[in-house]
Amino acid sequence: MRIKPKQLALSLYESVDGKSPSQVKAVIAKFIELLAEKNMLAKEDKIIAQFIKIWNEKRGIIEAEAAGANKLDKANIKLLENYIIKLSGAKEVLISEKIDKNILGGVIVRYGDKIIDGSLKTQLEELKSKLVK
Amino acid sequence: MSSTKDFIVEQLKEQISGFKAGIKHETVGRVIEIGDGIARVEGISEAMMSEMLEFSPSAKATGDKKTASGSVYGMALNLEEDRVGAIILGDYLGIKEGDEVKCLNKILEVPVGNGIIGRVVNPLGAPLDGKGEIQADKFYPVEKIAPGVITRESVRQPVQTGIKAIDAIIPIGRGQRELIIGDRQIGKSAIAIDAIINQKGQNMKCIYVAIGQKESKVAGIVAKLEQAGALAYTTVVLAGASDPASLLYIAPYAGCAMAEYFLDKGEDVLIVYDDLSKHAVAYREISLLLRRPPGREAYPGDVFYLHSRLLERACKLNQEYGGGSITALPIIETQSGDMSAYIPTNVISITDGQIYLMPELFYQGSRPAIDAGLSVSRVGSSAQIKAMKKVAGKMKLEAAQFRELAAFAQFGSELDKDTKAKLERGKRLQEIFKQDQYSPVSVANQILIFFALINGLTDDVPVEKISDFEAGLYKYAASSGAKILKDISEKKDLDEKLEAEMKSLIMDYKNNLDYLIK
Repeated sequence: MRIKPKQLALSLYESVDGKSPSQVKAVIAKFIELLAEKNMLAKEDKIIAQFIKIWNEKRGIIEAEAAGANKLDKANIKLLENYIIKLSGAKEVLISEKIDKNILGGVIVRYGDKIIDGSLKTQLEELKSKLVK
Repeated sequence: MSSTKDFIVEQLKEQISGFKAGIKHETVGRVIEIGDGIARVEGISEAMMSEMLEFSPSAKATGDKKTASGSVYGMALNLEEDRVGAIILGDYLGIKEGDEVKCLNKILEVPVGNGIIGRVVNPLGAPLDGKGEIQADKFYPVEKIAPGVITRESVRQPVQTGIKAIDAIIPIGRGQRELIIGDRQIGKSAIAIDAIINQKGQNMKCIYVAIGQKESKVAGIVAKLEQAGALAYTTVVLAGASDPASLLYIAPYAGCAMAEYFLDKGEDVLIVYDDLSKHAVAYREISLLLRRPPGREAYPGDVFYLHSRLLERACKLNQEYGGGSITALPIIETQSGDMSAYIPTNVISITDGQIYLMPELFYQGSRPAIDAGLSVSRVGSSAQIKAMKKVAGKMKLEAAQFRELAAFAQFGSELDKDTKAKLERGKRLQEIFKQDQYSPVSVANQILIFFALINGLTDDVPVEKISDFEAGLYKYAASSGAKILKDISEKKDLDEKLEAEMKSLIMDYKNNLDYLIK
């Protein structure tokens, strides 16, 4: 039977969870051996992607992307982090920043398959559609 | 001048200060696979079954070919571990891999209300007749569980189809599901359209759902309904032959949702599904594209449920729940008379009887080509009015005896007098059951002609003159027997006095005829 990258990533997570760095090193060496044996070294990208996903899920970590018209300052990022933690019930939020002049102002936050749209552009569009009515 | 300007500015300020843009929370996914009207979408992990999805074709695609609102709706059908299989309700050509898909957090629904009466709409409730926007009172979900046992009661009011053969021997009641089945081109739709036309003044709303029909045919039907004044209480839901399978699939459910609005108001609705074999084919297409396992004739495993959940929504509610009803006339097209194919047997077993149309009868010229032997109505006879029951009971017997004897008499041997008389009467009965399209007959007139037949008053009318006799009788009754007709339709029963009056009316009429057999 073919083993899927997701299954491999899950077993890797289970075998390294709660181990010391030296033990982890040994486990990974074994894991690579297994991959070579199963001819799955080429799937490395997928396994790593799945591993990150599983790791984040188990530890309650969320990766979010915040897009603003200008660079966000530290205080605002902290506020956003707390807001996302409140919404999603995660333990930790990693925010990566992006600058998009198109949205004019405010911020658009994406995490997982959610979008929180607080941009000036969307609000202006809504105002427009309301006034047209 | 300046005062209006000030007024406008004032209004604008007020509107803007009153405007509060909330922060929008949305769940979005991405298209990972698209083709043949279905899409596989990643993300949208919280999508519900049959939830509405909004596809936003990226700007480049819509730039040269602008769709109406720039976005296309879809419906989630397969909820899998990490992806969602969705059908696209509309033009899917602009959608690309990687496009954004939004959840709209509501089950697929259609506009309902009095505004849809007299209109031609697509299964999403968008107008197709160029008469402007639909004024919807409410939105109803397309899929809904049928009313339960507590809310129902048995059929007790008749649906007058205006077709003599049906009203007499296969009567339909309000809340019944009566299948119309037969080969192509032998008048299945004609029966349904006649039934709709005859609902004028009968307190019925009608919905005609065209599934996979040629648009030219539907245009003809709409013109005919308009001409007959039937569009004043009829809605046409059209999913044409060129529409994607997804629209064909939701069309009957959408039509039923529109009917349920009137049901909830306690009104009676007649809904025609024309036809469910094309609906099953559309569902097969969708299912195979969504990689659901095929079964018999490549239909998916839930093709029975597909039709049973639709037809169960036809019902007669009791007074406590408003007393409304939905009468369903599904149509099934058979292939060269094969009633034992998969879909026909399914639908026959779901419905409360069927009207079977026979090609042989049709080509012999006996139209509507209803086969009185194979057609049945399991519940309708309890809804017939008493007067009709009295005459129709004997007619059924006559018709059955005639069929038996006709087969026997083919051998051409000498027949005794009694048999000959039965055969002669049977021929006249067959002649009476012939009826032109778009010419429904009122109940009172039907009772009059059947009364004449069972009492032997037509025995001296030559068989080929029966249709003249019939037309003349209706005319004569309208001028000199209006009171009798009124009595029949008001009392809904025949007493001895009325019967005597009817007899003398028919005898008076016959005195003026010159073609009687002496």
